[in-house]
Amino acid sequence: MSAGAPELLTGGDEALTIEAAGAEREITARSPMQLFWRRLRHDKVAMVALGFVLLIVFTAILAPLIVKVVGTPQPNITNADLTDDFGQPLGPRDGHPFGVDKLGRDVFSRTVYGSRVSLEVAFIATALIVLIGVTVGLVAGYYRGWADTLLTRSMDLLLAFPVLVLAIGIGVACSGRDGCAGGLIQPGLTVVIFVITLTTWPYMARIVRGQVLSLREKEFVEAAQSLGASDWRILFREILPNLVAPIIVYSTILIPQNILYEAALSFLGVGIDPSTPSWGAMLSDAASIFREAWWFMTFPGLALLLTVLAFNLVGDGLQDALNPRNTK
Amino acid sequence: MTRSQLRLLLASVVAALALVVSACGGDDSDSGSSGSSGGGNAAQQETGAGKTGGVLKQLGGTDVDYLDPGHTYFTAGYQFAYATHRPLYSFKPDDAKDPVPDLAADKPQVSEDLKSVTVKIKPGVKFGPPVNREVTSKDVKYAFERFFSVNVGGQYPTYFSSIAGAPKTPTKGVKPISGIQTPDDQTIVFNLSRPEGVLISSALVMPITAPVPEEYAKEFDAKNPSTYNTHVVATGPYMVKNDAKGTLTGYQAGKSIELVRNPNWDKSTDYKPAYLDGIQATTNDSNASVAAQQVLTGSHLSLDANPPAAQLRDAVTNRKGQFVQLPGGGFRYFPLNTTIKPLDDVNVRRAIVAAFDRDAALKARGGKFTGDIPTHFLPPGIPGFEEAGGMAGPGFDFLKNPRGDMAVAAEYMKKAGFASGKYEGNEELLLVTGNVDPIKSQAEVAKAQLEKLGFKIQFRTVPQDAMYTEWCQVPKKQVAICGGAGWFKDFTDPQSMLDPTFKGANIFKEGGNNNLAQLDDPKIDAAMTKAAQLQGAERPKAWAEIDRMITEQAPAVPFDWDKTTIIWSKDVNGVGNPYYDALDFTFTSFK
Repeated sequence: MSAGAPELLTGGDEALTIEAAGAEREITARSPMQLFWRRLRHDKVAMVALGFVLLIVFTAILAPLIVKVVGTPQPNITNADLTDDFGQPLGPRDGHPFGVDKLGRDVFSRTVYGSRVSLEVAFIATALIVLIGVTVGLVAGYYRGWADTLLTRSMDLLLAFPVLVLAIGIGVACSGRDGCAGGLIQPGLTVVIFVITLTTWPYMARIVRGQVLSLREKEFVEAAQSLGASDWRILFREILPNLVAPIIVYSTILIPQNILYEAALSFLGVGIDPSTPSWGAMLSDAASIFREAWWFMTFPGLALLLTVLAFNLVGDGLQDALNPRNTK
Repeated sequence: MTRSQLRLLLASVVAALALVVSACGGDDSDSGSSGSSGGGNAAQQETGAGKTGGVLKQLGGTDVDYLDPGHTYFTAGYQFAYATHRPLYSFKPDDAKDPVPDLAADKPQVSEDLKSVTVKIKPGVKFGPPVNREVTSKDVKYAFERFFSVNVGGQYPTYFSSIAGAPKTPTKGVKPISGIQTPDDQTIVFNLSRPEGVLISSALVMPITAPVPEEYAKEFDAKNPSTYNTHVVATGPYMVKNDAKGTLTGYQAGKSIELVRNPNWDKSTDYKPAYLDGIQATTNDSNASVAAQQVLTGSHLSLDANPPAAQLRDAVTNRKGQFVQLPGGGFRYFPLNTTIKPLDDVNVRRAIVAAFDRDAALKARGGKFTGDIPTHFLPPGIPGFEEAGGMAGPGFDFLKNPRGDMAVAAEYMKKAGFASGKYEGNEELLLVTGNVDPIKSQAEVAKAQLEKLGFKIQFRTVPQDAMYTEWCQVPKKQVAICGGAGWFKDFTDPQSMLDPTFKGANIFKEGGNNNLAQLDDPKIDAAMTKAAQLQGAERPKAWAEIDRMITEQAPAVPFDWDKTTIIWSKDVNGVGNPYYDALDFTFTSFK
């Protein structure tokens, strides 16, 4: 391909040969995926952020190994010798590069293990939000009528609640020994994931519904209907593929939101066992002694900040790369 | 600037800000020693000299529960109650063991059969404005009767349940109690249905005994809830500022309380010097660190409660004359539910106590300046403490090492049938605690200690107020370990410490149960019933033996004999009262 050659979005993979200005030039048509990747990899910020996201993911997966290699204690090992006479934690030192918390637990180990909780909650909740939001949005937007009214009003109802207050209420109600909803929602991470999913899926559903309302009027949908395609086929084979880009983009925005949401719930003491290392819970514990133990808040805080920032930058990059109007 | 560059710049700025913010957090205070055990303790306080005059400002974030002496039951309320009211008996700051007559003229007279207590009250004690008349024994009788009404809602009726005719449930409106008689204006007689004269006479230090004028209060007590709380009338050296009708103008709930001198208080009838001209308390300081710092470096100030760790450290290391440490008169513990397997085995319980790093649990509450590590249950300051072995305790091996002893624990586990020296079963133990520090942190320590011995723990944090009422005090919830339990004196009698907490007869299956370990040992129960009727030197001795019997059964892990530290400014002669663990306004003065 010659430099500065125009790019064509044809949907095919075959190379075309055209005559131009008396010279034979070969123009390679790229698939949407190739175009997406080409745009993304030229976005240096997004690529650095993606690298950081992968680092965090590997950190979460390899947390036990990392802690073993660095030589710090397991995250739940308490050690009263590492607090002073006033019960205040000691700072960074040999064997504890990030210092310890109020119970003498190693902050490095807890920060590393904390990535597990954050990512676990973020990914599972996001997947559930996408599943519920897309399904509801498709049905509401495509069928309109009473189904749309019912589903849209349900979304409005949920969106009208102050989400954090609702989340705290549900979190506390479901934190009993037997959980809630007949034991379906058990205390711990399940409660947090449930709360995040319940209060966030309407946002995804509204976006999808809006897109579907527009897409259902397009010619390719009319063509499919005139050929006798079933609603199921139209929804999932014709409309859904056209929603992939906005769903991906919104999902990447949801992931950091959900990480912050989990951190906020943990900060408020809802759901997760306090001894489980979680960045939000660590920040909550550290808040009261920040002046005396800066390390306790700084390291989980930085981990949270950088992870959320990285996911946001990746999401930004994906949005640019998936935008068909992007000329880069 | 391109969009990518902008984003990169934004990311850099945010990261740099984060680092700057973290750097502002102060230096690494990793010194492991405090250098000093601090200045005052309760017994060494200067209570005899002071300059008269001045207004003290008390900073803090805790409001009183109630100003009504018939309703208050917490430290903040007591601090104001004992400055504004005169109960029958009260405690001088330098002696938390023996109460002295306050409104009473002399010691209570207990009949030989222990079924009657007679108290004479002083003449010449007057109510403050707007009542302005002399107090009589009928005012004390009315104070008791209103206490039992649903409108007032007295919070400790159990102690007085042996008074003949005392209602078993709160009454609608104020009803007379036949067992309380007032043969003359200076005499009140409590006739009892059970021989509990010693216990009742010890309990006459509680604010229920402060007189309430019926003719003035009945209008307020007729409402539900009673509005006497905002019209309370004083008998003590100070009164909450009020208007001509008695409405408290000096009390802004959740904001402030202003005490002024009670013009009707007669110094010749009272042992309290009352040096200060007034007290202004803020009850809505949201930042304890800032308030504590202001107190230590400012003037004419005191703090309402324990200071945060940084200011506590500053006080005990650098400011010897600016604090006092008061024994809390109670114990904090992790009750082990003796009805749940494998905690029903005494050797398993002993193993848990032996393995437990109780120093770590105490550090989670603030370390050695917030309490001592117990060796038994009866705390310092309560009769029977010395007889029970004092600080050294009765000498059981499983309580010997405050840092925990895994070898001793393993031996007990083997005795319980666990050959490996650790728990080998699969049952999960439910540990419930409150969702705020320090009880959350101390429970996390407990979880780690139990896991050391191989136990699987189901850890639940619940709202602090629900921890007792919805979980720990409800036997059917099957809570194996309560993570935030504590028991503090209502008055200085060993029975009040051990009877509600470890007597089998006091297990309430439906809720409101204070025997959290559900210890039900007939020998201990019988000993308690017998000891309840003793007086004089026999009484503390008998309860010390009961304390030993309980400790031997290891129904709980005791980890803190609580201490409270009160701080004040350099120009204040602060005096703390170990009965209610707060600054005593009636003895504090300026230098």
